[in-house]
Amino acid sequence: MATIADLRQLVSDTKPDEAAEMTSTLLDAGLDPMEVLEEGVMSGLQDVGDRFAAKKAIVLDLVRAGVTAKACVPLIQASFPEGEGVKIDKKIVLGTMLSQHNIGKNLVSTLLSIGGFEVIDIGEKNSPFDFYEKAESVGADLIAVSVVFAPAMEKFNELLSLLNEMNVRDKYPVIVGGAVTSQKWASEAGADGWGAQAKDGVELARKLLSIE
Amino acid sequence: MGKLLWEAIQRSTTGPIMTEEKFETELFPTVLGNLQKKYRIEFDPDEPAMIDPDMADAVFEAGKELLLEVGLLCKNTQRIIKFTQEEIEEAIVTAKHEVTLGHGREAVTLSPRAPGEAQHPYCFNAAGVITTDVELYKQHAMTVMQEATCDGVIPMPLFGVGDIKNVAETPAQTFVCLTEARIMNEAATWAGKPGLFFGIPMSATTPHTLISTFASGLYNKHNCTLPVQILQDMRVDYDRFNLAYYADQQGIEPWMSSSPTLYAYITGPEQGAMQIIAHTLGMLAYSGGTLTQAMSVSVYGEYTGNDITWCNSAAALAAERNLKLPWVCFGGTGSEGAALSDDHWYGVAVAAIIACISGMEATWLSGGHTGIEARWVGEMSRAAAQLSPQQGLELVKKIGTLERAPTPKPIPLSDLYDLGTMRPRQIFLDHYRKFTRIFMDLGLDYPTWHC
Repeated sequence: MATIADLRQLVSDTKPDEAAEMTSTLLDAGLDPMEVLEEGVMSGLQDVGDRFAAKKAIVLDLVRAGVTAKACVPLIQASFPEGEGVKIDKKIVLGTMLSQHNIGKNLVSTLLSIGGFEVIDIGEKNSPFDFYEKAESVGADLIAVSVVFAPAMEKFNELLSLLNEMNVRDKYPVIVGGAVTSQKWASEAGADGWGAQAKDGVELARKLLSIE
Repeated sequence: MGKLLWEAIQRSTTGPIMTEEKFETELFPTVLGNLQKKYRIEFDPDEPAMIDPDMADAVFEAGKELLLEVGLLCKNTQRIIKFTQEEIEEAIVTAKHEVTLGHGREAVTLSPRAPGEAQHPYCFNAAGVITTDVELYKQHAMTVMQEATCDGVIPMPLFGVGDIKNVAETPAQTFVCLTEARIMNEAATWAGKPGLFFGIPMSATTPHTLISTFASGLYNKHNCTLPVQILQDMRVDYDRFNLAYYADQQGIEPWMSSSPTLYAYITGPEQGAMQIIAHTLGMLAYSGGTLTQAMSVSVYGEYTGNDITWCNSAAALAAERNLKLPWVCFGGTGSEGAALSDDHWYGVAVAAIIACISGMEATWLSGGHTGIEARWVGEMSRAAAQLSPQQGLELVKKIGTLERAPTPKPIPLSDLYDLGTMRPRQIFLDHYRKFTRIFMDLGLDYPTWHC
């Protein structure tokens, strides 16, 4: 019998077709979609992330894991009952700084959406100005940044400087996460929050935006 | 100009269509992995350099096959540009093996050198420092250019000129790059070396700024080269082709450059070395260049370590045995403000030794940001030139075991040099002497080390 642990393994092994099939099987069997997402997809992604942190995986593995997750997440999203969850009137601008990675960012986007936030996903390869410009144009309440490789860390610092220079730093709590980041680095950079895992993004957003 | 430039452009409009995602996650890594297995290319983490001639030949063959099988993905059209084996073989046999850089008394000619040959790898030292302070930038460059062992320089990129930031695709960047070129010329004239080689315009990131800078004449075909470097992981765009054609029209030497990022889309140094060869052959096809820069970096931002140096040496030896293009590799450690750091000085020595035993013709960004560091890498390159690969490898391993003092905080240039006379201060000379003694004890020798 298929289990969530099997799905986790398939995501960890970056097998998109098999993982999607397994996701459907688990959902059809009546398992809780949130559990499938967190314990199956996200835990599998975390396994790949852990291997990367231990220098036992490469960026390509992270990308492939993202492709695998992308095959599973829409199935899970579709299985959430209509009207579940309360819509929160808060906008979050989310994107990847500089690089083309999108695994973690997409997961955070999904979880924030499920959590009721309005997510404005600006995609990948963003400059600091892209975040600022979009936040201003949509009237964002929070900016969430994915930083996945070293050069983007400096760009994150530039984003905070830019927000300060434009006198809008107080308007936008800024949270960050990603493979190369850490709590220490994020704190030193001046971020308002750091998440080790995708689900932390939701908790951080709720906390920073004072949502009960 | 490369014999295949027009073919490459034509094929960029007719070749098979492939999305970048499919190219980078499926085609490229699959072929790369298969070729690594086929040619049995394996990195030994205990080896800081690759000195096995048979494996070097395997790296070359694997790299060539990689180019033939995968081709180059054109970012403008999302089509794959492929070359035939005959075309690449012809590009190889008709490649030039020698290049003269700089002019007048300062001209240096890079000719093929095998590991252990008496001719030392030339040192193109880092000139300037990453800053917006042009006076400080110039002072750094002057300390370097005055050194006898400075064979040429590579300007450091200027982040701006005072309040004018280096903003890409605007006249501000052109202004900043022209300032870089002006300072290089002024510093070289001050040092009595007006014909010095200035590498590439490092403050430029766009074809517009590159072309505008050459149009000024401050950088020209006698003192500078034009970057036509390939993009990461077998990709090109039309900028590469435009620059290659412009270089040909102006008689400027193309600067071919490949810098794979290990652990991004390639699994390690073996694949990095293969990719460097494939990149080089691709650039040779579309630019017809001679001078080739090849260095790897890790996705973690590391410029040193056995994996990095192994990759660099494997690619260099593969090229030395099969291609004989003038080969340039990184001669520093990527550490800024490390003028008095033991770790940095040992790292520079390792880079110099590996250049010698891998058959490289030159190093770039060699040393650090000051003259004494330039002297160090220049003298090390000369002292180690005739080491056999085995001797060099053993020496590098020995260096890895030596104790080193904790890295001190960065020190301003004014504490290292008397900026009125441009003479190094005693603290800096003492550090240099400490290292000349260490390396004499390790068995190397250079005339000035006895002074």
